[in-house]
Amino acid sequence: MTQYLQDPALWGLIAGTPVAATAIIRGRKKIAELRTEKEELKTHYANLENHYAEAVEEAKDRAEEATKTALKSAMRTLQGLASEQQLAITKLQDKYGELQILQDLLDIDHMNSQFARRAQSIAVLCDGWLGRQRAAASLYDVVRSAKGRIRHFTRVEIRAQSNFAIVSRAVEPVALTLAELLDNATSYSAPETIIEINIRPVPKGVCIIVDDAGVGMNEEEKSRAAKLLSSERSPGVSGLGNPPQFGFTVIGVLAARYGFTVSVDSTSPYGGVRAVVLLPEELLTTMPAPEPEPQHEPKEFPAVAASSPMPPAENPVAPSTTFGGLPKRRRRGAISIVPAADSPDVPVRSSEQAASVMGAFQRGTQSGRRSTNASSEGHETQ
Amino acid sequence: MTTPDEPDQEQAATPLVPAYVITNGRSLLDDDEFSLITLVTTAQDSPSTQHLDPEKRRLLELCSGGHLSVAEIAGHTQFPVGVVKILLSDLTQAGYLITRAPIPAAKLVDRNILEEVLHGLQARFG
Repeated sequence: MTQYLQDPALWGLIAGTPVAATAIIRGRKKIAELRTEKEELKTHYANLENHYAEAVEEAKDRAEEATKTALKSAMRTLQGLASEQQLAITKLQDKYGELQILQDLLDIDHMNSQFARRAQSIAVLCDGWLGRQRAAASLYDVVRSAKGRIRHFTRVEIRAQSNFAIVSRAVEPVALTLAELLDNATSYSAPETIIEINIRPVPKGVCIIVDDAGVGMNEEEKSRAAKLLSSERSPGVSGLGNPPQFGFTVIGVLAARYGFTVSVDSTSPYGGVRAVVLLPEELLTTMPAPEPEPQHEPKEFPAVAASSPMPPAENPVAPSTTFGGLPKRRRRGAISIVPAADSPDVPVRSSEQAASVMGAFQRGTQSGRRSTNASSEGHETQ
Repeated sequence: MTTPDEPDQEQAATPLVPAYVITNGRSLLDDDEFSLITLVTTAQDSPSTQHLDPEKRRLLELCSGGHLSVAEIAGHTQFPVGVVKILLSDLTQAGYLITRAPIPAAKLVDRNILEEVLHGLQARFG
């Protein structure tokens, strides 16, 4: 036993054990500490990463908002100028309606409409001003208005008229939507092809169908278009892509805001794209009755009506109701003051009779002029 | 006079359907085709008017009472005269309207004839 006690190794072992134990315990502690530290670092890193993404997102949103605000106010100015210009052009057209300059004025009017539409589209992307609210208008007029806002409008043929009308607040949005669809249709089809518009009532409302004879869209384009057309949230100005594609984005924003649907996923009978705008009942109304003309009752002028070359009752032009069932406005039978050339009712005067009539007329006017001085009602005092 | 602060009211004066759409982009007529005093009336056996634009139907309605001059028709519509002429020409070509040339103005008599008459009278009575 003593030999062991004298063995320095034993003493070394006795002394070393607690040291080693302490070292081991310390090491374990250290490892545990490091582990928690690592965990902490991990969460910290994740937090940082999250905040970074949030910060980037926030900065992006702020930039988008700033862009929108700037563009919105710029477009508001341009839109105001365009509408001012349109008014001026309209006045000029009336003023110089008889002259050849009218042709140029009509062309300028057309260019101005396209210009206004571009500004309006950008304004829509910025949640901006959509232009002046119009009175409720017939669907046919809204479609024609849309037609006038694109460059090659003569290629657009409207096949059907309808008795539907669009409520006041939806006139501009629907017209702008159709204009963007027509712009796409004319841009992606050959210049000599026709764009056909049909209006079809459906149980849920009315469909406006735009068919082009272009190259159509592939599946990828279709799905992208469908996404843009149905998205609740607009991709904004920065999400337009390069080259920027306004059309579907603008339509998507308008459709979401005004509650109609637009789809472009079918193929037209001519091989191109068929775009369908479905207007729900809420956006439709009936056309207000045409305001009564300041007309005279026809019976006030029986003589002139009788001398008109055709009796109005037999005229096939005038059914008592329109083809849509609306009451037909009464014919303005008495406007003409010129009797027909071959009318038997016109008395033929001999030259002597004519001369005596003219003489009597002249004597009458002379005596009238003489009595003017004495008359208290006369306008001419000299 | 409207102030620049009221663009809404200003634009209200412009029509929803512009004139160049109503004419479908047709260019203006030559002056000799329709003059302001050309007389227009509806044709006896005109085709169905169902597919016509509302503006054209209105023109037909206006003209159905008898002969009207182009100037009068333009006065009853809100369109420029040139535009009305295009529409009337369309309707005439499609057989809805018939036109009658205006009554020609009296022609100036040839000066030589007057002089000859004068000489004759002078020789006879002078």
